[in-house]
Amino acid sequence: MGARRPYMRTMSKTSWFMTHARFKTYMLHEISSVFVALYMWLLIDGLFRLAKGPEAWEAWLSFIKHPLVVVISLIAFAFFVIHTMSWFKAVPQAMRIQQGEHFVDGKLIIGGHYAALGAFSLFVLILAGVA
Amino acid sequence: MSKRTIQLEVLRYRPEQDKEPFFQTYTVPCEEEWVVLDALNYVKDEIDRTLSFRWSCHMFVCGSCGYKIDGEPKLGCKAFLRDYGDNIRVEPLDNFPIERDLVVVIDDFVEKLQSVKPYIIAKEEKALAAGEYIQTPAQLKAFKQYSMCINCLLCYSACPQYGLTNQEFIGPAALALAHRYNMDSRDVGRSAREHVLAAHEGVWECSFVGACSVVCPKDVDPAGAIQQAKFTSAVDYLTSMVGIGGK
Repeated sequence: MGARRPYMRTMSKTSWFMTHARFKTYMLHEISSVFVALYMWLLIDGLFRLAKGPEAWEAWLSFIKHPLVVVISLIAFAFFVIHTMSWFKAVPQAMRIQQGEHFVDGKLIIGGHYAALGAFSLFVLILAGVA
Repeated sequence: MSKRTIQLEVLRYRPEQDKEPFFQTYTVPCEEEWVVLDALNYVKDEIDRTLSFRWSCHMFVCGSCGYKIDGEPKLGCKAFLRDYGDNIRVEPLDNFPIERDLVVVIDDFVEKLQSVKPYIIAKEEKALAAGEYIQTPAQLKAFKQYSMCINCLLCYSACPQYGLTNQEFIGPAALALAHRYNMDSRDVGRSAREHVLAAHEGVWECSFVGACSVVCPKDVDPAGAIQQAKFTSAVDYLTSMVGIGGK
């Protein structure tokens, strides 16, 4: 009997996600959250400008109307939608609701989240005087 | 019965003579209803008896025949040849040292499994004569899905976190099983498992790639179990902060 000599294959720490389509999608999803974070920063900046006074606020308003900022905002919005969808899709896995011997259908839980999102969005739009 | 011929590319590694693994191709005449495991057994019986691989039940119960087939962790007995092309690549599971050919060293997993105490820790042991521990169907339902694990390790092979942490991460199957016992109405061992589950290498190392649940041949959904365990762990932490304490 020969001596044992287990062989460990190496895994690249920097390009591991290129080895499978599933991992590429995962990494793109993670990287896209940078846009979401940038957009959050833009909104928070808007709040600070509002606190500073009417001139700063008007300057911020004209800044976000710049075509380049509009394009970036649209990209960020698309990623917001993707992240919302993937988050809601994961909810039934992370939050199972048991009723007796059955679990509440995952589609109902996801649907409930979309309904809550819709209701809250409508509330914000009414509050803003848009709807 | 129609016959077809496939080229089976198998990763070989014979520690006594090979410096590193290499692919060896076998030409296998196969039947329509064959699975990859049948093709491997054909090679073993008819072409090359030196080929090593684990298998036992041939009906996805024992969990022995996990291999990476065309880049995806699969059970060899559940991977039908009709779902593949004429060239099929079979490798050992990722993230484990290769002992020989398709056989991997699973000692690390066995240690991790033991560390989560995968058995019922009852409040007080009953004498056998005192009868069984009663459980309602609803209480059984709460954890049954997570008890279906057959320790095939496909989830560890699919999990990038297990590889990226150099196998430090406790990993999907062990964590799902820990959650299974924590959810069991007969068990009071949550605090005894907490130091493993709530550790950095425990549930918090999981970044929810979700690959474990995709490849699981028994629909255990380890990723879901881990997310639930994260929630429980966070609640336990917060309640211990304010001095209420958990289960």
